[in-house]
Amino acid sequence: MTLCIECQSFFPIEDEPGRGDCVKKCVDARQTYYSSRIVSQDNDADRCDSFQKKIIPKEALH
Amino acid sequence: MAEPALNEKIQEFEGKQQWWWAAEVKRSKRLDYLRKAVWRKGSTGGAPISPIKLDLEPALRRIELYKQFKQEPLPLRMAKIHSAMWGSDLIYIVDQSQIVGSKTPSPSTEEWYGSGGIGNAAVYNYPEILPEPLEESLKVVHDVGQFWDQEGEAMEKLISGGDPEDMAKYQSGAIAWGSLIGGYSGKNYEYFMTGKRAFEDIIEEIEENIAKAEEKTQGVSGPDILPLYNKILNWEAMKLSLEAGIRWARRYARLARIIAENFETDPKRKEELLRVSETCERVPAKPPRNLQESLQYDHFIQVLARKEQVEGAWPARPDYYHGPYYNKDVNIEKNITKEEALDLIGEFLIRAYDMPVVLAMGKWVREGLQGIAGTWVWTLGGVKQDGSDACNDMTIALMQAARLVRTPNPTFAFRWHPKVKDEVMREIFECIRHGLGYPAMRNDPILIANAMHWHRHPIEEARTWVHQACMSPCPTTKHGTQPYRMASATANCAKIIEYALWNGYDQVVNMQMGPKTGDAREFTEFEQLFQAWVKQMEWLFSLLTRTVNYARYVQSDVVPRPFLSGISQRAVDSGLDIMRPDGERGNAWITAFTWVENPDSLTAIKKVVFDDKKYTMAQLMDALEANWDGYEEMRLDFVNAPKWGNDDDYADDMMLRCLRESARFSRELKDPSGNSWPILPENVSGNIHYSSIVRSLPNGRRQGDALYDGGISPGPGLDKKGPTAVLKSCGKIDHIVDGRAFLLNQRLSPTQLQGEKGYQLWRAYMKTWADLGLDHVQFNMVSDETLRAAQKDPEKYSEVIVRVAGYSAHFVDISRKTQDNIIQRTIQGIG
Repeated sequence: MTLCIECQSFFPIEDEPGRGDCVKKCVDARQTYYSSRIVSQDNDADRCDSFQKKIIPKEALH
Repeated sequence: MAEPALNEKIQEFEGKQQWWWAAEVKRSKRLDYLRKAVWRKGSTGGAPISPIKLDLEPALRRIELYKQFKQEPLPLRMAKIHSAMWGSDLIYIVDQSQIVGSKTPSPSTEEWYGSGGIGNAAVYNYPEILPEPLEESLKVVHDVGQFWDQEGEAMEKLISGGDPEDMAKYQSGAIAWGSLIGGYSGKNYEYFMTGKRAFEDIIEEIEENIAKAEEKTQGVSGPDILPLYNKILNWEAMKLSLEAGIRWARRYARLARIIAENFETDPKRKEELLRVSETCERVPAKPPRNLQESLQYDHFIQVLARKEQVEGAWPARPDYYHGPYYNKDVNIEKNITKEEALDLIGEFLIRAYDMPVVLAMGKWVREGLQGIAGTWVWTLGGVKQDGSDACNDMTIALMQAARLVRTPNPTFAFRWHPKVKDEVMREIFECIRHGLGYPAMRNDPILIANAMHWHRHPIEEARTWVHQACMSPCPTTKHGTQPYRMASATANCAKIIEYALWNGYDQVVNMQMGPKTGDAREFTEFEQLFQAWVKQMEWLFSLLTRTVNYARYVQSDVVPRPFLSGISQRAVDSGLDIMRPDGERGNAWITAFTWVENPDSLTAIKKVVFDDKKYTMAQLMDALEANWDGYEEMRLDFVNAPKWGNDDDYADDMMLRCLRESARFSRELKDPSGNSWPILPENVSGNIHYSSIVRSLPNGRRQGDALYDGGISPGPGLDKKGPTAVLKSCGKIDHIVDGRAFLLNQRLSPTQLQGEKGYQLWRAYMKTWADLGLDHVQFNMVSDETLRAAQKDPEKYSEVIVRVAGYSAHFVDISRKTQDNIIQRTIQGIG
């Protein structure tokens, strides 16, 4: 199962362990905006259309 | 400052009075982007605007939370539901934006919470506002409706608890406009907006109150501690709501920081986003320190209050409360330039323009408030509590920003007084000349005296007044603020004369509505008719004020407002929900829609039937029964009878008599605080909504014709003696004791009022207005030529704004009937 925490859009909330802001860039006919919803890091992201695997920097792998 | 080529362009547009194109060139790129980014939230005519869609998720979430917190005492349940929703809803920040916070989950959607009973009618009738796939959405609407039907929806609870006959008549759609829940909200700005305290300070005050109360509840038993148990619950609910508000604002702080650090590549915008983040971290938790924080603080509070419950009004005094921060930032410390301040202020107006209300509400709301989402009438000018001039640089900046962003909503109303400086008057005139339809002009000394007369507000408190809805002055103090006046005391007054003629029977809704006051065919003297009119007036005003009094009395037991309570000193001090009237002076008024039809109809009957004896009452009733069809010559006799607004005592005396009978009776009517219910003639666009509901009238109007445009404005085209005669007629009314306020629409010629000469003519007109003691006047200054062109080519003229009644709207967003009604208003040549 893919989890929200693995997504590029997931930004952990410092003082709320296990939760994060799911932030997306959106565009409609009039404007660009960024939206945010609080999600749990363990949410199932398998069916999320916007899921994008977080790129882990090389240095973090070593 | 614009480049020379742009200056030429601006001059060309302004020369053609194409103010909306000129504004596009003049405003900053940021303001242009943000202004054009807004999806209009009002209705077009009576219909919702596509492509705004409802988001149904909040309705499902609310049910889930309702089930979770069902066992909690009511105030805590409400606070916990809202707190959870504010923690989980979708928030967003628009590119270029510096002031953030929205009631909606995206720029082009509106939250839907759903209800039971007939509350979902608009959603069923306009499926285009539902998200696709439609079948799934309709199922959600059905399931939500069914849930609240079973649980007992708040509105149903209120209606079922009131007098059944009153409620049936109130809900008939014939006599009242508005709902028993919500309506015209008020805010205790003197408590939370003076820089002395913000949410964390209020939470501290609440905690102290709880601690003191708990000390007593844990002490010696006695009757004095019994009310404290409920008070502690209320305080806890207020505290929860304020804490939730702080957390909600900090979500924006995080979002702005995430965008800055992860998405934004422009260093200048990054810096702005970090400032937005810092601002949202600071307010509403702590008091603002600068203009941006002050505007953000105010905006957060407005959004949160409207997320808690529908608010149909937006009382505000932005120059007074934000002015000190403007002065500090722009003039004293020079932290920002005037242009940067204008960007912030312009966006502050745009954020309010973006606030939705009406999409899923009843047809009566959308038709009565065509083109706008609510009556956001913001107050400017006036005096301070010590009586000195309150105008400041922010007053001027707000008017300059309004001309740049040209939002029809919010609209301004200016508290004029003799000490207002010429530079401020010139800014006002520029807004009017640019066709915004605002500021409306209010006579401050008269209205302060009026507030003291009707509601016994002390002078220092009366001087804090802001517009509650379109017209009614309400103080912003602990005991002076009225948290709500439910809209249902809005009377379709043309029904008074109709019922006086038809023995209280309403043939449109087929009900005996008013008392039986006699068969008008048998009336042999005018006095018989007038006394019938008085009885019908007394019945109508009694019924409608009973419904509001009842709703105010029980609302805290049905739908308490813990957040609004938390920003109201009276509630924080007492531990009572703010909807409870205890300790409030009251500020009630009866909104008198379609008022002038009464004196004009009575005058016509007096003149044509009883004085000239040209027709009998029986003949008149036959003609009215036939909707004047086949009686054209006779109809013209009634049309040509003396009419209000021509400085003709014959007609004007009837107006005074009707008003003074109403004023006499309104002193007998009491609100929950024990104060009076004075009338306030104005219409919004109710004159169109009610045009098919009011039968033919003796002023010559046929059923289906638009009613007059409202307040004490003469009927369109019936003021034939010029603007001074209109002012003189209106000046015969005592604007302090004859009622709460009196709306006057006037159209002026944009050609005549060009340049310095035009300004001086307007100043002379305003001097006459002030000398005659009128409390209100507002202007349309767009030519017939432009308006007719806009009817033919709406896309080209989509930004033309007109004054409808107590509000402005885009001309293309109001119905054809309302458009025609505005064009028909007499253009007054002054000077």
